[in-house]
Amino acid sequence: MSAVSVEALPEQESQRVADARRKRRYTAFGAFAVLAVVAVVVSHEVPSWLDLDIQKRAQDAYKWTINNRQTSPIFKYFFEPLKDLLQWMFDVTMNVLEFLRWPGVVALTGAIGWRTGGLRAGVAGAAAMLGVGMIADWDLAMITLAIMLVAVFIALVLGIPLGIWTSRSDRVEQVVRILLDTAQVLPIFVYFSPVQVLFSIQVPPAIVVTVIYALPPAVRLTNHGLRNVPVVMNEVGESFGANSRQQLFKVQLPVARRTILLGLNQVIMMAFGVVVLASLLGTGDLGQSVLTGLQKQNVGDAAAAGLGIVLLAIALDRITTGEHKHSFNRWAAMLPKVPARTARAIAVGIVVVAVALAHLFDWTEFPAWLTVDIAAPIDSAVEWVQDNLGDVTQAISDFLVTNVIDPIYQFLLRLPWFLVVVAIAFIGFMSKGWRLATGVGLCMVLIAAMGTIPGGGGREALWDIAMNTLSQVLVAIAISVAIALPLGIVAGRSDAFERVLRPFLDVAQVLPAFVYLIPVVFLFGIGRSAGVVACVIYAVPPCIRLTSLGMREVPHAPREAATSFGATGPQEMRMVQLPLARKSILLGINQTLMMVLATVIIAALIGAGGLGLVAYEATAKPNIKLGQGVAGGLSIVLLAIMLDRITQAWGTSKQGGNQ
Amino acid sequence: MRSSGTKRLLFAGVAIASLLAACGDDSESSDGTSGGSETTAAASGDTSGSGGTACETSGDAITLAVNPWTGSAVNAYVAKSVIECNLGTPVEIVDIDENATWVGLDDGSIDAVLEVWPSGHAADYETYVTGKKSVVDIGKLGPSAKIGWYVPKFVVDEHPELATWEGFKDPELAKLFATAESGDLGQFTMGDPSYVTYDEQIIANLELPLKYVVAGSEAALLTSIDKAVADKTPILLQFWKPHWKQLEVELTEVKLPDVTDECLASAAAADGGYACDYPVDELYKAANAGLEAKNAKAFQLLSALQLTTEQQSEIAGFVDRDGMSAADAAQKWIDANADVVKAWIPA
Repeated sequence: MSAVSVEALPEQESQRVADARRKRRYTAFGAFAVLAVVAVVVSHEVPSWLDLDIQKRAQDAYKWTINNRQTSPIFKYFFEPLKDLLQWMFDVTMNVLEFLRWPGVVALTGAIGWRTGGLRAGVAGAAAMLGVGMIADWDLAMITLAIMLVAVFIALVLGIPLGIWTSRSDRVEQVVRILLDTAQVLPIFVYFSPVQVLFSIQVPPAIVVTVIYALPPAVRLTNHGLRNVPVVMNEVGESFGANSRQQLFKVQLPVARRTILLGLNQVIMMAFGVVVLASLLGTGDLGQSVLTGLQKQNVGDAAAAGLGIVLLAIALDRITTGEHKHSFNRWAAMLPKVPARTARAIAVGIVVVAVALAHLFDWTEFPAWLTVDIAAPIDSAVEWVQDNLGDVTQAISDFLVTNVIDPIYQFLLRLPWFLVVVAIAFIGFMSKGWRLATGVGLCMVLIAAMGTIPGGGGREALWDIAMNTLSQVLVAIAISVAIALPLGIVAGRSDAFERVLRPFLDVAQVLPAFVYLIPVVFLFGIGRSAGVVACVIYAVPPCIRLTSLGMREVPHAPREAATSFGATGPQEMRMVQLPLARKSILLGINQTLMMVLATVIIAALIGAGGLGLVAYEATAKPNIKLGQGVAGGLSIVLLAIMLDRITQAWGTSKQGGNQ
Repeated sequence: MRSSGTKRLLFAGVAIASLLAACGDDSESSDGTSGGSETTAAASGDTSGSGGTACETSGDAITLAVNPWTGSAVNAYVAKSVIECNLGTPVEIVDIDENATWVGLDDGSIDAVLEVWPSGHAADYETYVTGKKSVVDIGKLGPSAKIGWYVPKFVVDEHPELATWEGFKDPELAKLFATAESGDLGQFTMGDPSYVTYDEQIIANLELPLKYVVAGSEAALLTSIDKAVADKTPILLQFWKPHWKQLEVELTEVKLPDVTDECLASAAAADGGYACDYPVDELYKAANAGLEAKNAKAFQLLSALQLTTEQQSEIAGFVDRDGMSAADAAQKWIDANADVVKAWIPA
């Protein structure tokens, strides 16, 4: 994109600018060198005066909430009614699903899919929904579905307008981005207990948790889509005299539709990603079955319930996003045009017939003869893998800890803390400039200001724990990108490959990590390697998706031009498609990073320790350690923002493209 | 009830095909799916057994929390059946996380929980029972539990000195437990951080060459046991009784220094000086403070309800060993122990 904007400055002028820039650069180098010396000389450890007392403040706030949750007006007039509203929305959805019964739900899924994405999407959606009942408990699945529908609905209602707003103002975008980063990366375990004291237990807090987690992609991708509307399109709109509202609804939103729909897809995927955690709140749904399976170490049972969750997500995904091929007609088809009317009548008819039959013949339960036991085959498959790969994976795991993760950690740990701050600020400066340098430096200082927690024979600084997590995160990101980029590029160029890949991506992204925790532990042992593996599994899909999308969004004209000038396929990809897709690919890498940091908490459940474990304490022992958990969680967010801003700068800076 | 695999797949195929047909033409769809109606009706008949008891109930339901272990479930299902059949009050069971349970007890969305391990919930007790008084302690459940240090039996068979903590003072023996994570030290594995732990203090104060590693979850801990047993590699971990895993794997408890008053004082003061074994956990029951006003009889019944260690493990055995549902296991035991149950029922 930026390649077009070559400024035609007189040569002298540009020389002078370059000189000035060089001079400023030297001053900056000097400043960083001085800071580095100061860092080494002054203090090796984080000084205690830096502690902002965040832990105590959070703990006190939590305590206050516990003691006033039945009496304070905030609860009477805000949280209580909101809780009741959420419960009501859930109840209504649940009643509808119960009225439809299983044939109606399957038929409705098919009908919606057919009308919005074509016959193929309809069949895929209905088949996935039927599959839910075949492999998992239908009644539990409907509870999950109702929670998800409500949460996704709320996420869209809040997210799309927020996305539109952020696309119109850079300042708003900056602020919202920090909030979204926090929502996406702050481990759920940190606000799990606070959400309980605010919204009680069971369904309402589960919806709240899901919305918080699923909202970011709705905002981000709406924003991304609107900002990437080609300038020409906007100009055409303007030249026809469209006002800004018409511009938005008639030009920008339709043009950005594909990206926004990807946002919907991601909202659904993210929402389903928290089903299991939410079930800790007592929702009694499919997530609970995963936990029960886990508790009894029945990987097969957990996987069956987990795959049920995946199929539910796929069913929703297929009927909302449909096949990309037919995307052009999708929204048009939803409008009551004359030819579509008959089709719509047929769709409605199918649903009515299905519901009528269900009531006529009293089909309340999902028929037992349709169910398939997949738990046993999964158990034997897992056993085979554990028996046959265990030695190799354990060797890899030991190597990774001893020779990669631990050396990086020890290195970071031995550096004087302020030197790390200065070094990261310097990277920020080189990536973009002073503003970024200050920002990322501040992030690191704030981590240092999180204080200490009890551990070992005394107290351990959160800074040291953050270095532990940083070392793991860097390794996980490197592995994830190394896996995802090539796959994403191939998927972006080959429809067939993407089609094969897609279900795997869906499964990897939505299959609750809890399902594969046991095999991962068995293969890699508890510890940091296992944690890295969990992060990689979770982080790879979005990176592949966004890389592929970026490749596909590249307009045909420049690619064809290259080919007509005699470029071979690989040449065209390297010289034209990849550079033009760079922005999306970098967004993909960026998402990988966020995903890795979001999985740090899951990694802590299999022995990775670090900030994830500190954050988990907020749920594990809320009455004494919530503050500690909040400090750990915020440190994760700060690490994420630091890494995010630096990688984003690589994507946008002009110098980055130097060759 | 379940037909063979191929048959099931065939049915699935038919169902999908009929669905496909339904997309094109709805007159066919009624034929295609109505064939299954008889089977469906038959199947729906026998599912009620897993959910409720056979007794008639009315009025406001009592909500009991079940935490994710067998003991907790069997207590609750025993109580459910006894309350529903003797008081006519419906009982709802909520499967929920241990910590979330206390928030529910606080606001009354949970009426009672029948198995609390005191060691893990001292802070909750202080906050809600003695502090806010929104939760009441309704007495001991009966069974006691014990947390401790465990190794697989084969470890002690080979190295008898590892049956007590003193054996671990030897760096060479401790090294048997070394992993990539613990380096030259032996690894001590702790499970879920929400459980009580003095292990780090014990290791430091007894000056043992061990490194404390948190597995992070009970599932990871259990899998570590399986892995150790499968590979015949030594593992040292924090574990407890009763636990269903104890029936499956032979674990030996490592003897730690006896519990002393100083030790308990150190725990209470949280001064980091803990250096002895874990005290015995006497499980207790807790209820929302409003339960007595809401349903006095249920409150009395739940307060009176007690099981011995043997009784509880008998019912848990039906579940863990025989694969029964907690509800069925509870009912089986109630039917055989009418006299025990009778004593709980208020006049």
